[in-house]
Amino acid sequence: MRSIDKFILSVVTGAGILFSSCQKLDIPPTNIITPDIIFSSEAGVDSYLATIYRALPIEDFKYRPDQGFKAGANDWENFFCSGAVTGEMIGPFGGMDIGGGFAYWPYGPTNGSADPQDPYGSIRDVNYMLEELPKHVDALSQERVDQLLGEAHFLRAYFYFALAKRYGGIPIIATVQDPGSPLEELQVSRDKEEDTWDFIGAELDQAYAQMPETSAAGKANRYVALALKSRAMLYAACVAKYGSENFVDGTARVQGYVGIPSAKAENYFNQVWEATKLLEGHYALYQKNPNKEQNYVDLFLDKDSPENIFVKQYSIAASPSTAHSWDATFSPRYMTANALSRAYPTLDFVERFTTLPITNTDGTPRRFTKLEDLMEGLEPRLLATVYFPGATLRGLEFDTQRGIYPHFSGTAAAEVAKQDAQRSYILAGDVNTLYQGKRIIGNTGISTSGDELTRTGFYVRKYIDYNKAINTVDLNRSEQSWIDLRYAEILLNRAEAAFELGETGDALTCINQLRDRAGATPLSNVTMDQIRNERAMELAFENQYYWDLKRWRIADKVLDNAKFKGLMPYYVFDENKYIFLSERETFGRNYNFDKRFYYEPIPGGELGKNPNLYPNNPNY
Amino acid sequence: MMNRILLGLLILTGSACTKIDNYGEPTASFEGRLIDATTGQNFLTTSQGINVRLEQISWSETPAPQDIPSKIDGSFKDSKLFPGKYRITPMGGAFWPVLEPVELDINKGTSHDFELTPYLIIKDFTTELDGTDLTLRFRLDAPIGAGLPQILDVQPYVNTSAIVGGGASIREYSEDLKVTVNKQWINMTDMDKTMEITVPGLLPGRIFYVRVGARLDDSYKSSNYSEIVKITVP
Repeated sequence: MRSIDKFILSVVTGAGILFSSCQKLDIPPTNIITPDIIFSSEAGVDSYLATIYRALPIEDFKYRPDQGFKAGANDWENFFCSGAVTGEMIGPFGGMDIGGGFAYWPYGPTNGSADPQDPYGSIRDVNYMLEELPKHVDALSQERVDQLLGEAHFLRAYFYFALAKRYGGIPIIATVQDPGSPLEELQVSRDKEEDTWDFIGAELDQAYAQMPETSAAGKANRYVALALKSRAMLYAACVAKYGSENFVDGTARVQGYVGIPSAKAENYFNQVWEATKLLEGHYALYQKNPNKEQNYVDLFLDKDSPENIFVKQYSIAASPSTAHSWDATFSPRYMTANALSRAYPTLDFVERFTTLPITNTDGTPRRFTKLEDLMEGLEPRLLATVYFPGATLRGLEFDTQRGIYPHFSGTAAAEVAKQDAQRSYILAGDVNTLYQGKRIIGNTGISTSGDELTRTGFYVRKYIDYNKAINTVDLNRSEQSWIDLRYAEILLNRAEAAFELGETGDALTCINQLRDRAGATPLSNVTMDQIRNERAMELAFENQYYWDLKRWRIADKVLDNAKFKGLMPYYVFDENKYIFLSERETFGRNYNFDKRFYYEPIPGGELGKNPNLYPNNPNY
Repeated sequence: MMNRILLGLLILTGSACTKIDNYGEPTASFEGRLIDATTGQNFLTTSQGINVRLEQISWSETPAPQDIPSKIDGSFKDSKLFPGKYRITPMGGAFWPVLEPVELDINKGTSHDFELTPYLIIKDFTTELDGTDLTLRFRLDAPIGAGLPQILDVQPYVNTSAIVGGGASIREYSEDLKVTVNKQWINMTDMDKTMEITVPGLLPGRIFYVRVGARLDDSYKSSNYSEIVKITVP
């Protein structure tokens, strides 16, 4: 009773104080930071830029293509990656769960706004910077202001690129809108897709013209702008070329909000070629180690790689921690302190490099004395990209088995064609289940239940920090940088653009540079299929292939009720040998890409607020 | 103490329920048939094979669309709609796009039929059961050949219920027997258009419902279907 009385008393008193305190005081606030403080010192500008860089839509380790960009201290489910719906990997997604996107609309905290989720908030931040900076020439110097303006143009282009590749034409807002303006002015219409890409190109040209030559890791310089331009213009070029052949009709297309006239393609391809040629000499493929396999592994871990153009860094020490979980979510528990893996490279991906020699000419499975013997003679880049059965991590072997055959006879094809019940193999759900004293599936093998062991026979190796001690490999404990732009991609962009422009010689030179570094045999001539395949091999698991499939407008063909395979190792007990069978991966997934997914729907919430965003993209 | 809590809850409950939704209930309904313009019969489709898209233009100039999926017999019905004026477009199936949407006032019991021109018609569909092997023969025909989307593939659909079509079939008897075509209509000879598919090893003593479909490379990758035939395997 007494405490309730006290509570009522305190509420009444509190309310009294609140209401009596509403006097107007016209003095500069001491608890918020004014533009003068931010933009008149390097430290102030740095902190302002840090907020924008943090919001950059970089599709890194933590990016979830069905949910969005993640920056939290416990966003550990890194296996929800776009590679897991495109056939690079088989993973947690049940099907094509990312086609509709996640309603990206640069939401972000903006200065002067109470809402931390303002639509276009990050773009507003950049626009504000572009308006404010010229007022602070005295404090920062004209040269520095120009550089920072260039950086702002780069950042703005980065946001618009992320929007344009998802939605096509979107409203270009290049000034700071006044929230007090009439509603009609705030409800901006969509711009045409062509104009949106041209705007991105012009922004990056301006960035290139004004930014400095070098920058600290994690920040951009003029060459980063150029590299991004090659990526963006390649996307635009392909929309123009291939989007004119394979498209979904609708009002938005008729009015130019999606789609670009095919005549524009050559111009965009030329811009890619020019940009990539300008980058020559400023970056180089990583070739520090003469062992090509180890070299390719280290290229993703060495912070001083001359191949890195733009990276995103992570830190456990930051508060809150920004560390990711790549190591703990792509390796089995056997090799980590605490892990949960769920996405595994497919045999279809591995066969981009070569057909594995697992079958004899008479159709019987080839017998191997050790699992690791299969890796003999394979391309070093492949071995550095995926962990094969028999490979080693942290002193432990991937002893992956699908099961044991007490006895095996006949051909691989006949065996795989049998119904499960007709096969004489022994499978297991638990790594500790034994058959005559031998583990049936190994410590890392293919279980009949659960997702936490490989379902394809392979594990991801790219980006795995093999130097970490087992007891330190835990969720939210990985700090290796995400390489958002690297020189290998520039060479691939260049090869593709050159080939589209008829410059096949230049394309071949670029591809062979990559193949030499990879330890692959050089090509003597090159086709578009080979260029695309090279790209898929080189940039595997880097969240690029999904966008490649989209811009080439082949996603609906490649992912048309698509099923993928695994490499199933079995131990043949009476022979004391191993065999490998090519079988459907054990998730049994299939993937269908709707044609409308070439563009994502404009977010429903934004359509509700701004009817001028209609027409929505075709078939939504 | 307990009484006070109850009293508090009562006050809260009472005061929370003072606002009433001032919109009418969804009392209107809309139904109709999707008609094959070439035969006058119901369009041969499957459950959700076609969507009747409604846009309530009396509510907003830019309404969020809602779809009524087709039933397997080529009809459609939604009995929980808000009365008002709608723009209505059948879409999503294997027919030439409806370029002029219908605008209708939808009230209780509103009905409207739509005539659709199929991309392909499956003609002369016959079945022949030899033991447990079922041979299906048919011929593709197109009411309008020019500008027809590429023909991707043909396949049988076999199910144990009369609901049979895309998404409702037995994989081994259906999808696994898909025949790739990947040809433009104008490049197809009469021979290309005449098809024969055998479904081997049907389980004896069962009843199956069987049809065939041809899939096109339109925006929806939609399929034209044959009629459904009941097969009793002795």
